[in-house]
Amino acid sequence: MKNRALQYGLQTLRGRLTPWKMLFLAILSTGLYATFLRFTQGLGAATNLSDAFPWGLWIGFDVLVGVGLAAGGFVVAATVHVFRMEKYEPIARPAVLTAFLGYVLVIVALLFDLGRPWRIWHPMVMWNTHSVMFEVAWCVTLYTMVLALEFSPLVLERFHLHRPLRIVRRMFVPLVIAGVLLSTLHQSSLGTLYLIAPDKLHGLWYTPLLPVFFFISAVGAGLAMTIFESFMSQRAFGKRLEADLLQGLGKVIVVVLAVYATWRLLDLGSRGGLGLIFTLAPESVLFWGEIGLGVLLPMGLLALPAARRSESGLFFGALLTVMGFIVNRLNVAITGMAASSGVLYVPSVLEFAVTLSIVALGFTLFALAVKHLPVFPREELAALRRAGQPALAGGRPAVNRPVLLGLWGLLVLGLVAVGSSLGEGDAQGSGPREARAAASVPSAPVALRLPAPYAFPTGEESPGPVTFSHADHVDAAAPRCASCHVDRFRLDAPGALLEGAWTFERIHMGELCAGCHDGEQAFDVLEDCSLCHLEP
Amino acid sequence: MKPAMLVDTTRCRGCEACVLACQEANGLPRDDGAERLSATTWTVVEEHGGVHVKRQCMHCLDPACVSVCPVGALQKTPEGPVVYEESRCMGCRYCMVACPFSVPRYEWDSTAPRVQKCILCYHERVSAGEQPACAEVCPTGALTFGDRDELIDEAARRIEAEPERYVDHLYGLEEAGGTSVLYLSSVPFEELGLPTVHKGDPYPRLTWDVLSKLPNVVGVAGVLLLGVWWVTGRRDVLARVRGGELTMEEAMKLRPPLAEPDPASGRAANDDGSVLR
Repeated sequence: MKNRALQYGLQTLRGRLTPWKMLFLAILSTGLYATFLRFTQGLGAATNLSDAFPWGLWIGFDVLVGVGLAAGGFVVAATVHVFRMEKYEPIARPAVLTAFLGYVLVIVALLFDLGRPWRIWHPMVMWNTHSVMFEVAWCVTLYTMVLALEFSPLVLERFHLHRPLRIVRRMFVPLVIAGVLLSTLHQSSLGTLYLIAPDKLHGLWYTPLLPVFFFISAVGAGLAMTIFESFMSQRAFGKRLEADLLQGLGKVIVVVLAVYATWRLLDLGSRGGLGLIFTLAPESVLFWGEIGLGVLLPMGLLALPAARRSESGLFFGALLTVMGFIVNRLNVAITGMAASSGVLYVPSVLEFAVTLSIVALGFTLFALAVKHLPVFPREELAALRRAGQPALAGGRPAVNRPVLLGLWGLLVLGLVAVGSSLGEGDAQGSGPREARAAASVPSAPVALRLPAPYAFPTGEESPGPVTFSHADHVDAAAPRCASCHVDRFRLDAPGALLEGAWTFERIHMGELCAGCHDGEQAFDVLEDCSLCHLEP
Repeated sequence: MKPAMLVDTTRCRGCEACVLACQEANGLPRDDGAERLSATTWTVVEEHGGVHVKRQCMHCLDPACVSVCPVGALQKTPEGPVVYEESRCMGCRYCMVACPFSVPRYEWDSTAPRVQKCILCYHERVSAGEQPACAEVCPTGALTFGDRDELIDEAARRIEAEPERYVDHLYGLEEAGGTSVLYLSSVPFEELGLPTVHKGDPYPRLTWDVLSKLPNVVGVAGVLLLGVWWVTGRRDVLARVRGGELTMEEAMKLRPPLAEPDPASGRAANDDGSVLR
């Protein structure tokens, strides 16, 4: 029995060990190693985070990007159930599934990033209503519950649990409305988080309107993600593409991106930041990458009816929107904070491994849900079942190769530009800082007034009185007072330089003069009495 | 009295007695060579072009770290020092991002890490009316502990008495809405590694201005969404009346369906479970 299972396992492994699967296994095993290290040695061992850079890839990508890309869930749910545009019904369930999985994975990522993840529930009972993070914690918790309920009909239908199904159906509209409100709050609040750091976040991204921009860009990215995910489902499960619906979403994305781009540029102009775009710096290159390639290009692409109607145009419009969104969130969380932090944070291999593992987990869970739950409309599943095999070959989008190559080329070009500008930024970043420090010669520091010579008490058998001179013992320019004071001779209690009495032993054999005058650090205190004891 | 500390960098010799006293008073490991703040060095003397600058938590009057902490682990005590309650902290590190002076430090190599920073010797000394360990040991008079208002007057007196010795600015008077640690210097403050921060309004205002508006956003958006839902539902019913599917009397009895459309029939189930035709 056991043998057979083992044999079967080996066979399937051998049979399906494609390069993709090998990559997947490599990511997963590195991710597991990273998990082990993170939870046995701490964040320092697994990440490149530091006191100067306390938030990195896990917050920037796993949380900010993860929450934003899951925004399709609330937008599509509201479209179908509040605006009653019921033709969008077929994409509502995949969108809610994506959102639910997205939020679950965000919570998984938070468990990695929080220093004390077992206290993730603390904001539920320990309140600070002035904290944006507190508000985000509550909204994300509640919205994840809402999503679980919005997702629950899939499970309840699958197991024919009619009574709970009816209860959930009855509260569905209030649930969707609560979901929209909670999403509006925390999508924007993720931007509000950064309002407290006006001196740290670069001027191209810091604006009092951060919450508004975070919300608008999340709506755009959430819709783009819904399109992207439909294409993925088509490839992976041979699902029919709801072309007319997706084109409808494409139109909405154009409007959202247009509002977003216009408002951002107007805001930048009103704060006198337009000059920043045209000065060559890593930040301005990233800004152009984000706005040019990730907002204006997809906006133009999706605005063209011909491009929108072609599958490749729609696909790349959505992909570019998603990428532009990702670059925006990483700019706010990481690259926009780089200059002020004074350090160059590059995520460690293990941080990447955890992030990629979580993404892979997301894809796996989505595939499992599609396989076992009624995610797609029934008639379509029935058609699939009748066909026997997923129509993989037939379902492939008819991609226009030159367009595809051109767009990928642009993306690679953008990445190279960003990469090289970051490298330059590092070289430049340290330069002026040091130069300035060296140039700052202070206006003549006031000369150190050393204490007057100090006469030690003289014992009965002493060969002569000893007078201690600070001038002989310390360099007034770099006195290093603490090498003697605090430990040997106290300064904190006036008049009590020494605890206890001056004794021959303490001076000549103990911690006082002999502490340094030991023949190694300075001449031996017993070498020649007259060096210290002067003739009276 | 509002406890505060005046750091006169022109009097500091960099002897680091304050650093060692701090380590001793707070049970931190002895480290003579510390060059910057760390989880085990809550105060440090930095050297910037020959000027010695003692750094530590600024104990802002309205601290960003306290306002951002979601669980209230950082608290502004009634006396003034900003203290940390380890048992509440979940390790989100928002305080580190929010602090305009980048002071809080983290125990990166611990599996139960804490945020660490100067607490102005609150528990052992300041709450008992004593001064912090660093101010007590300072042999040169660079550190003066006392009432904030009196220290501001003292600083003004020093600047007035020796205008050639001081830059005419008291750092911390207005920075970040005012801090409990105040600095005098002979060179511009940006040359001392002290960050140029917003003056006037305290930092928590930046987020509170948005947070305080959220209840209104929820109210307006909620009413708006309910309104849209009601109107679209009514529109659909009326369309059916116009199409002759329903009489007006029947339509008046219907409430807008509060239900997810049944994917099987494509129709919405009504409140009582019956299906609209």
